[in-house]
Amino acid sequence: MSYRASTMGKEAKPDPDTERSRKVRQKRIGDQLRRLYDDVTSEPVPDEFLSLLEQADNSSKQK
Amino acid sequence: MSKPTLDDQAFKEELSDLIPHLRAFARSLCGNATAADDLAQEAMLKAWKARASYQAGTNLKAWAFTILRNLFYSEKRRSWRRQQLDPEVAEATLVAPDSAGSALDLLALRNGLTFLPEDQREALVLVGAGGLSYEETAEICGCAVGTIKSRVSRARKALFEILESNEARYSGDSTLSASEAFDDIMRQADDLSRDHPADARN
Repeated sequence: MSYRASTMGKEAKPDPDTERSRKVRQKRIGDQLRRLYDDVTSEPVPDEFLSLLEQADNSSKQK
Repeated sequence: MSKPTLDDQAFKEELSDLIPHLRAFARSLCGNATAADDLAQEAMLKAWKARASYQAGTNLKAWAFTILRNLFYSEKRRSWRRQQLDPEVAEATLVAPDSAGSALDLLALRNGLTFLPEDQREALVLVGAGGLSYEETAEICGCAVGTIKSRVSRARKALFEILESNEARYSGDSTLSASEAFDDIMRQADDLSRDHPADARN
């Protein structure tokens, strides 16, 4: 950490390599974030959800 | 003048299609899979009851997410407010059938997200993963588009720093890959269980 703090000092214009690798890692985090979300959306929906919705629909039809 | 509305059957179908997204958004808010599904179910039922107020042709996902989010924040004392990483979820992530390194990364990310302020985390998840625009996210969160943009940008920076410092903690050696780090952890766990049989003091 202290190492990074010193390299990010005042005159430190980020060199292109550091900048590129930072971008690559940022992008990776972005990909992983989507992956985390998509992992849930690709799970099969528990039956409970659909049966609750059916129940709600049926009870509104009876009124 | 009457707003166009969907008939019940069409609404039900569209809402059903959204369930996976409600679950994913809820998971990002709760951290705990069981609590998240409770929240997603309640949000789904609330959306169903409120269907008359949905205007056909507008974004149903943003509309339903708003309901879910309001529910989450309005019931502060409900169990789904707990932010801790569910041990079962952590375990499931670790034994995911893909490469161990990537599973470890995802676990670190999931952990890292819990360190973000709630407002930043939800903005980042909605824009960065949920596929919502800045405008839709602003609508869902009830704030200005500029606010969302700044939250997303701050969240990205903070998450990056958190994950970088995590990496430093996993290994002082930057050449150690995540999968090697994982193997290393598993080896240490093996060693520990050998040294301390199950009945050892804790």
